[in-house]
Amino acid sequence: MSKTASRRYVMVLDSRKCIDCKACVVACKAENDVPLGRFRNWINAERSGFYPRLRASFDPEQCHHCENPSCVRVCPTGASFQREDGIVEVREADCIGCKYCMVACPYNARFFNEETQVVDKCTFCAHRVDRGELPACVETCPSRVRTFGDITDPKSPVHALLEGRRYRVLKPQTGNGPQLYYLL
Amino acid sequence: MDRRLFLQMVGAGGLAATSVACPRFLSKGKAKAEPAAPMGIPTSCELCPNKCSVLAMVEKGRVHKLNPNPENPKSRGMLCARGNAAIQQVYDPDRLKQPLIRVGERGEGKWKPVSWDEAFDFAASKLKAVKEKHGPEGTLWSSTEGFQEVFFKNLGMSFGSPNILRHPSLCLASVNLAYSMTFGTVPSFDLQNAKYVIMAGANRFESIITPDTMDLIGGVMERKAKFVYLDPRFTVTASKADEWYPIRPGSDMAFILAMIQVIISEDRYDKVFVDQWTLGFDKLAEHVKPYTPEWAEAETGIPAREIRRIAREFADAGHRAVFYAGRRSSWYQNDFQMRRAQAILNTIVGNWDREGGMVPNRRVAKGEFMFLPWDDPKASRVDEVEKAFPLTSAKDGVYLPLRENVLKGRPYPVKAWMIYKQDPLHSVPDQGKTLKMMQGMDFIGVVDIAMSDTAWYADVVFPESHYLERTDPIEVMPGIWPAAVLRQQVVKPIHDTKPMLEIAQGLAKRLGLSDYFDYTIDQWIEAEAKELPVENGLEYMKKHGVVAFSEPKYGTTRNAVYRFVTKSGKIEIFSERLAEAGHDPLPAYASPVQPPQGRYRMILGRKATMTHAALANLPWLHEHTPENDLWINTDEAARMGIRTGDLVEVSSTAGTVRLKARATEEIRPDCVFMLHGFGKKSPWLRSVHNVGAADAVLLETAWDKVSGNAAMHETFVKVVKV
Repeated sequence: MSKTASRRYVMVLDSRKCIDCKACVVACKAENDVPLGRFRNWINAERSGFYPRLRASFDPEQCHHCENPSCVRVCPTGASFQREDGIVEVREADCIGCKYCMVACPYNARFFNEETQVVDKCTFCAHRVDRGELPACVETCPSRVRTFGDITDPKSPVHALLEGRRYRVLKPQTGNGPQLYYLL
Repeated sequence: MDRRLFLQMVGAGGLAATSVACPRFLSKGKAKAEPAAPMGIPTSCELCPNKCSVLAMVEKGRVHKLNPNPENPKSRGMLCARGNAAIQQVYDPDRLKQPLIRVGERGEGKWKPVSWDEAFDFAASKLKAVKEKHGPEGTLWSSTEGFQEVFFKNLGMSFGSPNILRHPSLCLASVNLAYSMTFGTVPSFDLQNAKYVIMAGANRFESIITPDTMDLIGGVMERKAKFVYLDPRFTVTASKADEWYPIRPGSDMAFILAMIQVIISEDRYDKVFVDQWTLGFDKLAEHVKPYTPEWAEAETGIPAREIRRIAREFADAGHRAVFYAGRRSSWYQNDFQMRRAQAILNTIVGNWDREGGMVPNRRVAKGEFMFLPWDDPKASRVDEVEKAFPLTSAKDGVYLPLRENVLKGRPYPVKAWMIYKQDPLHSVPDQGKTLKMMQGMDFIGVVDIAMSDTAWYADVVFPESHYLERTDPIEVMPGIWPAAVLRQQVVKPIHDTKPMLEIAQGLAKRLGLSDYFDYTIDQWIEAEAKELPVENGLEYMKKHGVVAFSEPKYGTTRNAVYRFVTKSGKIEIFSERLAEAGHDPLPAYASPVQPPQGRYRMILGRKATMTHAALANLPWLHEHTPENDLWINTDEAARMGIRTGDLVEVSSTAGTVRLKARATEEIRPDCVFMLHGFGKKSPWLRSVHNVGAADAVLLETAWDKVSGNAAMHETFVKVVKV
């Protein structure tokens, strides 16, 4: 096995560019055979105001591939695990469907897949990443909301974005150390 | 760019051992163990008119994923939700799987599956019978745009019918005509480099056009451009704009004329450009004098001081300021003149053929396949387009005036209707009238991939192979980033379907027209590929799917010898041709009729997942919008005791529908809105069969006076809680 220890994959999102077009969601469905009615990624829409002073904002979300993932900690079988490059996955063969991880996830990023009978979630398209490709949601995005890469690599575009821009993460208070960075 | 970087980085750094790192995918047998990324088959999406380049990933003869093909600069390396969902059309359990002949009453849904020979024989005998009785002009051939539309059209023309009816008069006929009459061509807008963009109604962040949508979101959100948006509805586009004005519907022209008035009266126009390149500026200056911002405020509801400021900012941005033309321009009866006003506003700030301005399209050269020509039809067109709309494109026809004539049997009877890739029951206003027109036909034949509502009312249905199952002619897409794309077969047809060319050939054989279709698709594209600007064109296209120019060229028409393709050879601000045809030579404003008390103007629009009528049925798109609802302003809804989710009855003079209400702040109080693609009659569209309501039922018949383009925002409706 080659060295992956030095890598840490993260995603940086420029939500202001999100047009709620669902390309990421549908691309994910196709790439990962996600059942109808279930989602590995989604877009949070917030609408407010009174006519004609109105606002709307869209924030794409999925598994945050946390630094310190509570889903992995609570998994009784070790099915939920974190790769050395930071990607959190579910090992299907070991999942007993107890759903502890679903409860433990502060982002509600997991669901029970009735077709495979195991807990399912975003994998950052690890199978694509391992082939040197981008996650399907990143590749397909029409408005270039998403940037994916290795935060430890100074040449990676995610590195430059997080160096030069202000950002936030969702629910930092959980201590999970989420790795989806939302640019401000 | 970030994509490339990532790929390079991985390429240089070596790859992780996937077999160890990724047990899940191996155990499911889904991932390949090789480290190299699998190669996709390049082809071109068909879900909307953008024709984006895609790479089809095929596993065991099945398309598993469509990835964007970054080689096409026009599609900007992306693939939208619709493009991604195309796979579901191929594997749709309700798809048309073999030819069908109707056995019950029209619309009853009783079908007999037949062989292709039977279907061809049946259709040919019906077409011949109509020809014998009424002449070839007794047949109508209507279609929407697509790479194989040419074969359908050619069949109709070689059959001798003058009645070839295409989609522009339901779409962009008015905008195309307005810009052509002014510049002799229809330009594109360089949103990648524009500094000031005004859009009216063109909801670019929900109705995606490449590369405009991508360029605008980049430009606006990275603060390179200021963006002003006018729309009666708070769309996603409105939410991203620097300024949004819920303009009074139908008054866009007043806004534009007032901008022109400010720019001229304050001497902010590009004098050098106007002097050198245009005709009729003095007449314009005189013409716009009464159109002050104060006057426009009363028409548009936008404060005069804002109009004045926007006009100044627009003029100050000069050749990097654009008033975007829009695409689906079938709105109002004055649509042509409103688009002319836009064209003139763009002209006087001198943005013609400049970086960040309005740029004439370039084209990638391609060859033409030479086929045997046929005689011109003897009869004139049933829509009398040459007489009624002499300036518009006669070869495409005018949909609504045509339907009026056919219903009246004027000037002669039309008794057979062949339809390709179009669902007139949903794409044409007033479904009741279209249904009546269908009932008056001796024969209706439909070519489609799914059982559309129109197919449901046909006599014979020819199932076409899906775009991923066939090879199409090479398509040239003009633009600032022009491209030629190939759609090539990715998987074998999974059902007993045929591409349009073979359907045309099957019918041609029985109609004695085989000589006109004596070729294969391979011969056709070989001839086209010969003149592409690359070595071994065909091979290149099969490997890459696209030939494109990635560097824009500006200013090619800004030279002393260039003549605009207009009567005067100049940009025609004042148009003599319009005057001769009995229209206003300069856009003159007439205040639109507003809905009477208790009525609402019905406006249309799109959502990124739901644009064309055929898409709402796809589960991956449908799950985001299970049914359409009627947007009505919260205050109006409260007045009538309507709450979100309540069933309401909506009626116009054309028809009545029932659907759920959505009380929302995001629409003007005098308008209502519903999404397109719902309320289907065909049970073979299971997601949307009897779900929600069809806008086409309510829309009344009205058209733009100059182009004949359908005017789809001219319907007032009554809303009642059920």
